[in-house]
Amino acid sequence: MTLKWGLASAALGLSLAALPAPAHHSFAAEFDVNKPVTLKGKFVKMDWVNPHTQIHFEVTDADGKVTEWQSEALPPNVLYRQGWRKDTLKPGDEIEIEGFAAKDGTASMWTRSVKTPDGRRLFAGNADALQK
Amino acid sequence: MRSFLITVAAALLLAAGAGAQNYKAPRTPDGLPDLQGIWQVRDTAAAFDVQDHEGALGIPPGLSIVSEPADGKIPYKPEALAKRQANFKNRAAEDPLNKCFMPGVPRINYMNFPLQIFETPKYTLITYEYIHNYRTILTNSTKHLDGLDWWNGDSRGRWDGDSLVVDVSDFNDQTWFDASGDHHSDKLHVVERYTRTGPDTLRYEAAIEDPEVFTRPWKISIPLYRHTEPNFRLLEYECQAFRDAAGEGSR
Repeated sequence: MTLKWGLASAALGLSLAALPAPAHHSFAAEFDVNKPVTLKGKFVKMDWVNPHTQIHFEVTDADGKVTEWQSEALPPNVLYRQGWRKDTLKPGDEIEIEGFAAKDGTASMWTRSVKTPDGRRLFAGNADALQK
Repeated sequence: MRSFLITVAAALLLAAGAGAQNYKAPRTPDGLPDLQGIWQVRDTAAAFDVQDHEGALGIPPGLSIVSEPADGKIPYKPEALAKRQANFKNRAAEDPLNKCFMPGVPRINYMNFPLQIFETPKYTLITYEYIHNYRTILTNSTKHLDGLDWWNGDSRGRWDGDSLVVDVSDFNDQTWFDASGDHHSDKLHVVERYTRTGPDTLRYEAAIEDPEVFTRPWKISIPLYRHTEPNFRLLEYECQAFRDAAGEGSR
């Protein structure tokens, strides 16, 4: 647990105060706005499925142990209309995902944004977006 | 001169052969060939297996609707054929329809459910009784979307004489051609052709290509029949996946 959170960015906590409490049940049930997390890892694949897309990526900790993480994001049509394409992220890409961790402590999170290898930060949905 | 005569003779023969297919469709108020109406297959076996097949548990026997190649068989690559056989074995659990997924194209057109065609100058709409599917077939010369996969693909149409020709692309790799495990990858590309052959008949053809799965393109052809019952209309059909006592996925 400590190891995982060691990777989380503390700076993100600052932006949380402005965030309204999530009303979307699945978000509130699964993710914790009090656990902001930023992880760097290797992109594996993305499931373009409803109701939420899933980004799979591998995170290597300081000891070299690899954990496969799953980060949930907005639905395919919403991402598509924001400019995402199915090949926006390519297997092996070094990405940085910023979002909220799962309440149950598993290797899963909710995606707010993804930083691509070329330095773009792609918005992928935050907690309040889910209320719409 | 001789070759000219042969050409003329061949043309005459072709014209004679095509006679039955020369039905001239009536026109819509917009001047388009009128394919509108509620249609359905009578060959209910095709949705279970598009190739020649014997009856089996839950599968009515039927003849192949594969019109090309001439042997009526899907030209699978060896490894893709092996996957088909595995799919067939596991069909109860693996058929996407048993999970209530959308059927994909062309399967949705020869399932034993009615479909309804509506035409406008900018698009043709097909609505399906089967789990409230619909396809908006844009006929305004626009191009396919890029970078997004759909269960039923992205449909762009054009009018070719009396036929509606629909180019369907952007598929995912999750749908089957029938209930017997005939499958494809996300490189699937389908070109459909809808042609009236009489007052109450519509020929549906689809040219199918997928270089990852098939050794060559292939085609299917199957007639659809108009529902002429008074007050016939599409009804609601929802899909509810459940597990029966034997643990099999079923509907």
